[in-house]
Amino acid sequence: MPSFADDTQEEESGEISEFIRGFGRFGYVADRALATAVYLLVRLPKPLLIEGHAGVGKTEVAKALASYLKTELIRLQCYEGLDAHSALYEWNYQKQLLAIRVREKSDKPVEELERHIFGDDFLLKRPLLRSILCESSSPVLLIDEIDRADEAFEAFLLEILSEFQVTIPELGTVQAKRIPHVILTSNSTRELSDALKRRCLYHWIEYPSLEKETEIVRTRLPEFDYELAFRVVRFMQLVRRMSLSKPPGIAETLDLSQALMLLRRKQFDPETAEQVLGCVLKSADDLAKIRREGVGNLLLRTGA
Amino acid sequence: MLDAIEMSRDLEPIRSVVEFCRFVRANGLDSGIRATIDSVRAVRIVDQVGLDDSRHALRAVLSASKRDWDLFDQLFDAFWFGRRLEKPVRRIAPGNSAVSARNKQGIYLGVGNLASKEPGATKEERKVVTGASAVDRLRKVDFSRVPQDDLAELGRLSERLLRRMSLRLSRRFRLTSLRGRIDLRRTIRAGAARGGEMMELRHKSRKKQAVKLVILLDVSDSMNPYSVFLFRFAYVLGRHFDQLSCFVFSTRLVNVSDALKARSLPDALRALSTITTCWSGGTRIGGALGEFNRSFGRRMRSTETSVLILSDGWDADEPGSLIGELRILKQHVKKLIWLNPLLGLDEYEPVTRSMSAALPYIDVFAPAHNLQSLLELERHV
Repeated sequence: MPSFADDTQEEESGEISEFIRGFGRFGYVADRALATAVYLLVRLPKPLLIEGHAGVGKTEVAKALASYLKTELIRLQCYEGLDAHSALYEWNYQKQLLAIRVREKSDKPVEELERHIFGDDFLLKRPLLRSILCESSSPVLLIDEIDRADEAFEAFLLEILSEFQVTIPELGTVQAKRIPHVILTSNSTRELSDALKRRCLYHWIEYPSLEKETEIVRTRLPEFDYELAFRVVRFMQLVRRMSLSKPPGIAETLDLSQALMLLRRKQFDPETAEQVLGCVLKSADDLAKIRREGVGNLLLRTGA
Repeated sequence: MLDAIEMSRDLEPIRSVVEFCRFVRANGLDSGIRATIDSVRAVRIVDQVGLDDSRHALRAVLSASKRDWDLFDQLFDAFWFGRRLEKPVRRIAPGNSAVSARNKQGIYLGVGNLASKEPGATKEERKVVTGASAVDRLRKVDFSRVPQDDLAELGRLSERLLRRMSLRLSRRFRLTSLRGRIDLRRTIRAGAARGGEMMELRHKSRKKQAVKLVILLDVSDSMNPYSVFLFRFAYVLGRHFDQLSCFVFSTRLVNVSDALKARSLPDALRALSTITTCWSGGTRIGGALGEFNRSFGRRMRSTETSVLILSDGWDADEPGSLIGELRILKQHVKKLIWLNPLLGLDEYEPVTRSMSAALPYIDVFAPAHNLQSLLELERHV
């Protein structure tokens, strides 16, 4: 680990701004707080845990970072019941059995056969192992929705994240040549363990402000009419304030904008809104709630 | 790492950052020595760029949850700019709210604020660490007699312990629906039919066994000291049981399962207050159970369902109706559990007419007056 006297010397001011610009080039509008966190993730280096509501662009951070650093993005999607085997590695049993059969008749010694079937060809590399084996440059390892995995997996992950080293009994120990840049995301559906949180940097992504969201729509959909984009975003911000069971995120804003573009609408009137409401709200209760409020009323409040 | 700190040219900025780390720790952020070292490094890395960057950097390093994240700005301003901490920040180290003129001039990372060095700070700090004995005490304190100071701590503790319990519970029931491991023994056995060729792999996975839980929570007047805690309990369980339904009742029965799906407990309580107007009031347990049997019974009662009644058993109705409904319920569910907060009192005997009449139909009758008793539920379900 370098001492920080050196750090300050090689450090150019404005590297954080460079991250913001770089992310912008890949269609991600990052604020300075997020850019700082990502910058620290690369420089410290330490995993970054990003929390926030659904659809605020947590996963996109990893994609943007990988594009910006011109490196590979390796993604581990967590789900309930995810275990070490599906995350790290597994032997390809079918192929191994087949190989045993093929060589049954040959008179080569058993030891050689064993070496063969526990070779690289028979190893199914899952995301965590792939990120450790990466040779060219540090990959971005995205561990998505870690809150869905169970606590046992979290403990296992801790071990990997601190060592970046894996022991495969048949092959020996593999040590990462390049430490991956790790980004974890969580929808905070459950509290993560203290140990994991302590090991990570933390960033909370809030729903974007009116200005920021407008900018996101403009960056992502440059050909979309600016006035219309502004109204769409105003509308979304109002919808978000309605205490729905599933408030729409930025992804929904972009869907809605894209829908309007495809329908070639120049106006965002109640009739249009009614048609594309399915892009915004994904539950029957929420739809009923917004209809009770009156789509027209909401639109009126977005102002012309 | 510490050597690196010693060797660096300028000790003062480091000192300030370390002081700041101590300050945030004293004010409720759970950060250890590792976080302090990282803070110093982080500030070094982003240094010379601007105060805001240091703020962002320190926040990324020192916070570990949304709560910390929201608290951080206040703490940062209080320490570096001498702004007053607003309530409800807990455990304010005395002296830190004093405005330091030097800080106001913006001697960033300078020697400016060493206020937390004052003797008060170390004492406060010690308090933050919740020792095993404190945990033990909080587990056993009766919900109706929680001292005001302990409310927040008890809230956090119960969230943590109950979550752990419900995770264990749900793991016990919600077994994998995925294809399990390869069962080599059966694979080879099956291969024998094809002359030893193992064409198909056989898998083994555990038997699926879904358990449903229905909670009926009494929110009448007499339950007042307990109902909020018990609702918290229901909320935490709800986060880990897919198939959990929750009803509250006093004179009528209200389905509040949707409120349990709220993102956070305060949201859930808010949702609860919009759904129900029957909070506090008289009790008609029999009537409420009858309503449950009639309106929801067919859907919710099954042999995989456990029904959990949280009530003190004070009933305005004649016990007859309660008994009738309990009998119906008992026939249709796997287990009937009645948790009674009053059972925690030493002098309590289930002598209310309803309660004593109900006992024969109940599989488990247990107290629910403190955290410990709620954690015991694991044994019963």
